[in-house]
Amino acid sequence: MTALSDHAPALRQARSLRFTSDDRLPVAISLYASLFLAIALPLGLMFLWSIADGWRPPNLLPQAYTAARWADVLADDGLLRAAINSVVIAIVVTFATAIIALPTAWAMARFPFRLKRVVEVFILAPIIIPGIVVAVGIGQIFLALGLAYSVAGVILVQIVGTLPLMIRLMTAALETIPDDLIHAARSLGAGTPGIVRHIVLPLAVPGLLAGGLMSFVGSFEEFDKSFIVGAPVVETLPIKLYMYLDPYSMQLPLASIVSFLLLLPALIVFVIAGRVLRDDLMAAGMGKI
Amino acid sequence: MSMLEITDITKDYGASRALHPVSLSVDEGEFVTILGPSGCGKSSLLRIVMGISQQSGGEIRLAGKRIDMLPPERRDIAMVFQSYALFPHMTVEQNLRFGLRMKNVAKAEQQRRIAHAMEICTLTGLSSRMPRQLSGGQQQRVALARAIVMQPNLLLFDEPLSNLDAKLRDTLRHELVALHRRIGATSLYVTHDQAEAMAMSDRIVVMNAGRVIEVGTPLELYRSPRQAFTAGFLGQTNLLAVTASGRKAHLPWGQLVDLAEDAAGPGQVSVRPESIGIRACDRGGRDTGSCAPATVAGVSFMGASALYTVAIGDTLLKVSQAGGDALIEPGRTVALSFPDRLPLLEDRAPDREAA
Repeated sequence: MTALSDHAPALRQARSLRFTSDDRLPVAISLYASLFLAIALPLGLMFLWSIADGWRPPNLLPQAYTAARWADVLADDGLLRAAINSVVIAIVVTFATAIIALPTAWAMARFPFRLKRVVEVFILAPIIIPGIVVAVGIGQIFLALGLAYSVAGVILVQIVGTLPLMIRLMTAALETIPDDLIHAARSLGAGTPGIVRHIVLPLAVPGLLAGGLMSFVGSFEEFDKSFIVGAPVVETLPIKLYMYLDPYSMQLPLASIVSFLLLLPALIVFVIAGRVLRDDLMAAGMGKI
Repeated sequence: MSMLEITDITKDYGASRALHPVSLSVDEGEFVTILGPSGCGKSSLLRIVMGISQQSGGEIRLAGKRIDMLPPERRDIAMVFQSYALFPHMTVEQNLRFGLRMKNVAKAEQQRRIAHAMEICTLTGLSSRMPRQLSGGQQQRVALARAIVMQPNLLLFDEPLSNLDAKLRDTLRHELVALHRRIGATSLYVTHDQAEAMAMSDRIVVMNAGRVIEVGTPLELYRSPRQAFTAGFLGQTNLLAVTASGRKAHLPWGQLVDLAEDAAGPGQVSVRPESIGIRACDRGGRDTGSCAPATVAGVSFMGASALYTVAIGDTLLKVSQAGGDALIEPGRTVALSFPDRLPLLEDRAPDREAA
């Protein structure tokens, strides 16, 4: 009897740690409140800035509004061209990154070899080193090779940036494929191409999707490397938009418009992905970052 | 006619030898089990036969054709894995169809074989399920069906029942053998479970430490093993050290028994618990003389039989008695009777050849 009553408080405590239906409302409220604070509020302020016509303290809201700056920016022909450039480049970069990353990820995931950790650090190096450093170094070489100021050059230099994450995500996805599955496929008559097509690729889909999304968005928003290698001949959307920023004074209204336009593609891609893909696939892939 | 012929297969990992030259053969339609403790090389051997592991030396022939240089996909062998290795992104039917597609079997023939395999593996109605929606036993059946649709020359099983609970394992054991007979397959089965091996096999290949210890039918190996390892590994037994001279040998406590054939010097005999007779002596009765040294040290009641631990001299013997009216309580002196014509066992020491 004493033993039972000793356990009772501990039991009650354990039960109170779990959510019940009574907790649903407070949990929902705090979740949405934090989402609002983290995402909606900054975006709202940015939008206000982009249409404000004079906004000085201590006013809580702008004194007047104008759509003139939006009209100016959107009227620029170059903007559409730059956007198309960016989309095409991002698509090519995404597919090229996936194709290059697959064999590397396969080797990293399936074969034990010495210096594996060293190779891993080497692969992640472009993430660790600031983009501008990579860009300046590569810019020199590209200049000598005649790749500077070309779309091909921009694509190549962007792949340097998107490859590490893609390899990382795909390695994680491929590591989860058991050896026996490959052996079983071989015993059932599948050669290497058949195994890649019917077993490895379908099972690597979460990693491929996550890596693909990250590569696409990463390429679309990439500035420093594309700028040094491509500008002013190749204009991507970020390069174009950054031009609107005044280097001598911080202009919040224009900066807000630029931010909005850069945010858009990422938003569209993730919304589409969210619609098309099953949640568990998304979570499985993204969870590997 | 022998379907599978393994000759002097070896496997080295660096300087250490995992398989000493191993030879065995499986006849057409036969169900052969490789039995041994974990790490004895049985799975390595199976993987070498499948081709997913490379042998260091030796030769494998299947249906008379040499296959040891072929990649697994061209060997005409199908394998059922311990983990089942079902493709998680395919339905049951797609799993079954995979191998047929890879081998370019005609559509109509694919359909016919899949329907047949689904039926004999009692999977009817599950064709559009995903593997994760199936129970362990069902997954096991899918793995089996996926292997038999291939109509391979040889079926390999790598401990396919070891992930299932005991009851299901028993049922599937019988189903598997019945299926093997029905489709007339030739099967090589690996397990560490001696009861499984005895219940299922036409012949058992006992392996230990990378060597084949002994080959025989379950009955031969259980009743008259030639190797001490076989006697100890199959079922329960008492392995007793003896010194033989001529047809006689002295048991450790001095008792004299008959041997099956002439021998000399030290050796071992195996006496099964159920082949020793046990009888309680009268308390202080006439036969105290013959009873004196043996005392019951412990007893466990197993239902159909009782298993006694009997102390005799410095030796503890396992003795089982079936259908006794009453248990003999511990501490009682007992009279034991031993079978005649015990065979003297060889002891194929694991590292004898390595020396």
